[in-house]
Amino acid sequence: MPGTTAIPDIELIVEDVGGGGGPTPPPGGGDDGDGDDGKRRRKESPTPRRYSTAIALGIVSILMFFMALSSAFIVLRRGSDAWVTVHLPPVLWANTAVLLASSFTLEVARRRLSLTDLPGFRKFWMVTTVLGFVFVAGQLIAWRQLVAQGIYIASNQASSFFYIFTAAHGVHLLGGVGALLYVLTRKFDNTRIALPTAAEIASYYWHFMDGLWVFLLALLYLGK
Amino acid sequence: MGNDDSGANHSETPQTGFLSRYVFSTNHKAIGLNYLWLALFSVFLGMAMSLLMRLHLVWPGMHLPFLSSLGNSPDRYAALATLHGSLMVFLVLTAAPQAGFGNYFLPLQIGAREMAFPVLNLLAFWATVASFVGMTGAFLISPHSGITLWIVSVAIFCAASLLNALNFSVTTIDLRAQGMTLPRLPLTVWAWFINAILGMLIFSILLAACVCLFSDRLLSTHFFPPSYLLASQPGAVVTSAVSILWQRLFWFFAQAEVYIAMLPCFGLVTHLISTFSRKPVWKERLVVLALCGVGVFGFCVWGQHMFSSGMNPFSPLVFSLLASSLGLPATILLVSWLGTLWNARIQLNTAMLFTLGFISLFLSGGLSGIFLARQDLAAAAVSDDFVTGHFHLVMGVAATFAILGALFFWFPKLFGRRLNEPLGKLHFWITFAGVYCVFMPMHWLGLIAHSRISSGSPLASVAAAGSSIRTFITVAMLITVFAQGLFLINFLWSLFRGEKAEECNFWRATTLEWSVPSPPPADDFGPSDPVVYRGAYEFSVPDVAEDFVPQHFAPEQGAKARESGE
Repeated sequence: MPGTTAIPDIELIVEDVGGGGGPTPPPGGGDDGDGDDGKRRRKESPTPRRYSTAIALGIVSILMFFMALSSAFIVLRRGSDAWVTVHLPPVLWANTAVLLASSFTLEVARRRLSLTDLPGFRKFWMVTTVLGFVFVAGQLIAWRQLVAQGIYIASNQASSFFYIFTAAHGVHLLGGVGALLYVLTRKFDNTRIALPTAAEIASYYWHFMDGLWVFLLALLYLGK
Repeated sequence: MGNDDSGANHSETPQTGFLSRYVFSTNHKAIGLNYLWLALFSVFLGMAMSLLMRLHLVWPGMHLPFLSSLGNSPDRYAALATLHGSLMVFLVLTAAPQAGFGNYFLPLQIGAREMAFPVLNLLAFWATVASFVGMTGAFLISPHSGITLWIVSVAIFCAASLLNALNFSVTTIDLRAQGMTLPRLPLTVWAWFINAILGMLIFSILLAACVCLFSDRLLSTHFFPPSYLLASQPGAVVTSAVSILWQRLFWFFAQAEVYIAMLPCFGLVTHLISTFSRKPVWKERLVVLALCGVGVFGFCVWGQHMFSSGMNPFSPLVFSLLASSLGLPATILLVSWLGTLWNARIQLNTAMLFTLGFISLFLSGGLSGIFLARQDLAAAAVSDDFVTGHFHLVMGVAATFAILGALFFWFPKLFGRRLNEPLGKLHFWITFAGVYCVFMPMHWLGLIAHSRISSGSPLASVAAAGSSIRTFITVAMLITVFAQGLFLINFLWSLFRGEKAEECNFWRATTLEWSVPSPPPADDFGPSDPVVYRGAYEFSVPDVAEDFVPQHFAPEQGAKARESGE
């Protein structure tokens, strides 16, 4: 996968942001005086706001990444005389439905959480996570179908863009799945505010990934 | 190069000392200092490379110890130029003023105890070190895999910068102390903040370009075929495709970096001028707007080229000029600096000298930029001497002067000692004269070459006309480089033996970092959180005993002084 060294680094922003709404400040790595420092810092800085600011800025940044790729797609598509179209594998439509459904179940889970129905929240949150994995698996199937047709990443520019878009989106989405798992497995014991906030932040990212996929799919579909 | 990296891994014994305190510390001050050390190392490495290049230019037949073992092919020379540029631009000019000073002083100046995400901060630093190792390594291996490695290193650097930018912006937005409203932010913080926002946008685009380039090279996709580049070159130039590739790739990335590197320098310079003129910044709000303007112009100009060329690094379209777009905000900044200096009781210490040197270089570099904007750049190759001279004056050297000024200014806060003033002034004057002697004749050289080539005379006569100037440049450069030895001696000596400066507010400055001991304690502000009551540049306030009022002085403290005055 191209840029594997680079993209996971962005992912770390996302994971830390999406799932980092935990109760304690990040480990100090053995700094002297970090313990009581942390207590004061919590008092002075509203922790949740810091994470939601970061996710908002991170989303803008990731959006720029995909906008740059999209602009390259549009410019090259327009400037090319011999553009070979790639017929999108039909499984993509099923994948899209799965992803949209996952956004829906995520909202249901958050509604349950606001009703303090914790088991219901966990159930729907789990369903969302599973749907996320199903989507990634579906994307892999789409790749397999293309490969079966003999269309590889280097075949033509359209196929290059298809693989790059899906791969980059998939990697970012896996970061979102990581955030979902983090919220699911993390014990939010003594901080009541943290779980809803963490869920909210993860949900922003997840919906963003959802919308981004719809945009990319539209771009690939209309640009063929 | 990788020494500090590998050395750290070797001494991985379970102990409290060095590792946790310096290498894996998430403290913003430790990370900031680490960036500064990295930049210091890179700047001397990069300078050694420029020395090699100049020697090679003047005496091409000379047996150079390092170069000749790698084969004296043109693409080695181009690779050397690219490596010199990458080290200087990425690891010195981008890392030192933003990540280095910013990490150390941004939390201190806004009254935060830590960056918003300390672990991400540490990760970003080590990613930067990794990209440094990669860029250096790219030169040592074969050209084709070298370019791939270089692209990967740039991608890592972009990712690290993204993390850094995210950290900076969130810290500025959410972690300000009580009373630190936006209009009260010091201009350094404004510059860091705007730069971080700009960085989040630009580095994502660069990262996307890196991904495409990388997949072109490794997965043989065809996003940016280099044949497109070669087709657009005049036939005579296509001697070595690889060497052009090196240059194009470098300029593609460096173009965006210009704004990123200059913005924090503008903030530093404005801050220093106000402090050492003992006057408030003239038209402070306008300066903030101008800084925003630099950011917006920087993004629009560069981003627009990216989008309209489909990010193609080989498209000639991207080599537009910064001078024309930076014109308006740069003029505002310049007017504000001069307005602040006007009728001021200027304290001419070394920090201020470097700041004034920055203005001088920025002005003369900017003037040559006007000429450059009128030239048809497609005709003059990107490696043309005129461009080299202009670029180095306005960006490389000017930014270095801002960094040095900031270092002289903050050294007492960083280490509790001060740099030696007479030695510092000597270093300044030699460097100042030296860089003018190096880069001004380059403009001339570029003009000679250009006029001769366009009038159709043979290349040999062009080369002959320039040779004496080239020798002059090289000699001037040797002197300048050795003057940097003075700085190194001053730096190392002052670190251990320098005059003690342990009082909190050594320069009688107003911002929050001067309210804490030097060097600052681990938790920065001690038991109580700082509270801010006033703007960042209250110098020479009438009816006050001292000629400055620090930001953390409560109104009663100011009022008391005023009553005693009345």
